[in-house]
Amino acid sequence: MPRGVCGRLASALRGTRAQPPAVAQRCVHLSVSRPSPDQSERTRKPPRAFDPALLEFLVCPLSKKPLRYEASTDELINEELGIAYPIIDGIPHMIPQAARMTRQNKKQEEMEQQ
Amino acid sequence: MAAPRSWGLWSFCCRGWSRVLPGCRLPGLRSSWPRGPLGARPLSQEKRATETHFGFETVSEEEKRGKVYQVFESVAKKYDMMNDMMSLGIHRIWKDLLLWKMRPFPGTQLLDVAGGTGDIAFRFLNYVQAQHQRKEKRQLRAQQNLSWEEIAKKYQNEEDSLGGSHVMVCDINKEMLKIGKQKARAQGYKAGLAWVLGDAEELPFDDDKFDVYTIAFGIRNVTHIDRALQEAHRVLKPGGRFLCLEFSQVNNPLVSRLYDVYSFQVIPVLGEVIAGDWKSYQYLVESIRQFPSQEEFKEMIEDAGFQKVTYENLTSGIVAIHSGFKL
Repeated sequence: MPRGVCGRLASALRGTRAQPPAVAQRCVHLSVSRPSPDQSERTRKPPRAFDPALLEFLVCPLSKKPLRYEASTDELINEELGIAYPIIDGIPHMIPQAARMTRQNKKQEEMEQQ
Repeated sequence: MAAPRSWGLWSFCCRGWSRVLPGCRLPGLRSSWPRGPLGARPLSQEKRATETHFGFETVSEEEKRGKVYQVFESVAKKYDMMNDMMSLGIHRIWKDLLLWKMRPFPGTQLLDVAGGTGDIAFRFLNYVQAQHQRKEKRQLRAQQNLSWEEIAKKYQNEEDSLGGSHVMVCDINKEMLKIGKQKARAQGYKAGLAWVLGDAEELPFDDDKFDVYTIAFGIRNVTHIDRALQEAHRVLKPGGRFLCLEFSQVNNPLVSRLYDVYSFQVIPVLGEVIAGDWKSYQYLVESIRQFPSQEEFKEMIEDAGFQKVTYENLTSGIVAIHSGFKL
C-alpha cells in the first residue's frame, strides 16, 4: 500500500532528523504568514473542510437555485436573490434565518415585494 | 389563548385525554384528534390558521419552531444516553430494523432528515460497507488467479469502501449536528458523510436527488408535517423510498396502560434526574400523544404523492415504520 510505504518513510525520516516537527513547523510558518482574517481554503482545509462536491446537492432553500461557493468568506451565495449562507464548522447553515444579504439594493427590493 | 391552553391541561389532568375531543389544533393536517374513540372529526377548525400544539399546550406556529429548537438544544449533549435510558436500549433495535427494512445497496444516496446525532447515518454506512466487503470477498473467491496488472491496479486505486454510497445528514438544530459530527470523528466515520443545517419544511436540496429519505423520531417535531412530506417527495428520485420511524399509537390496551404510566410518571423524572430537564422530556412524551395514528399518517403520506404506502408496527405499536415510494 502506498500509504504504508509513505508512513514508513516518514517515520524513518523523523528518526534520522533531529527535529521531528520540522515539517509541522514549516506548515505553521506558512499559515502564520497569511493574514488571519483571510480564510482561504488551503489553511482551513485540514481541520474543517467544506467539500465542494456538496455543491452538487445543495441549492438555496428559498428559490431552489444552485449556489456559488465563496472561499474567501466561506459562504454559499445565491446571486439571484443576493443572499449568502454561512458555513460554520464545516456545516452549511441553509436556513434563511442564518443568511445575510450581500447587496443592499436587493434587500430593498425584497422588502418592497414582501 | 389562555382558555384553550388551560383546557388542554385540564383534559390531561382528568386522565380523560383518551376521551377528549377538543377543537382541532392541528393546522395543516386534515387528521382528526388521534385519540377519539370513534375516530371522530374535530369539532371546530376555526383556529387552525396560526395555532398548533406543543405537547399538550397550544402555541402559535412561530413559537413552536422556537420552542422545539430550545428543547433539542438543551437535550443535545445527553440525547443518546437519555435515549438508551428511556427506551432501555430498544431504540437501537428500532433503528436497526429501519435499516434492515431499507436494505440499501452500495451506491445508495441517503438523505437523513432530523438525523442530528447521526444514528441512522452511521448504521447506514456500516451496512453499506459490510455489503461492499461481502461483495469484494465474493469477487476475490471467484477470481483466485488475478493477472499482475489487476493486482497492481488494486494497490494503486484508493478503492471506495462504500461503493459510491453517500449519506447527507440534515437537521435544523446546530447542537445536535455538532454532537453528531463529534461522534463521527470519534468513531472514525469520514467518507460518504455530509452534514447540513436545514429545515425539513424547506430542504436545501435539488429535485430528484436521493434514493432514500429517512426521518427517524423527527417528524413529530416539525411544525407543518405536510410540507415536510411534500419536500420529501420533491427531493426523492423517481423510484425513491420514503421511510419514517416514529412513535405511534399502541394497539394493545394492556401495553397502552403500562406505556402511559411509564411515559408520564417515569420519563420526565428520568429527564430531571439525569439531564436536569423535566420540561423537555415532558414535551417529548406529550408530542408522542399528539402525533397522528398509523392510519392517519399513512393518509398524509399518500396525500403528499407517495404510493404503495405501508406501515409496520414495532413493539405493539409504540413505534411504527411508515414506508412510501415515489413512482
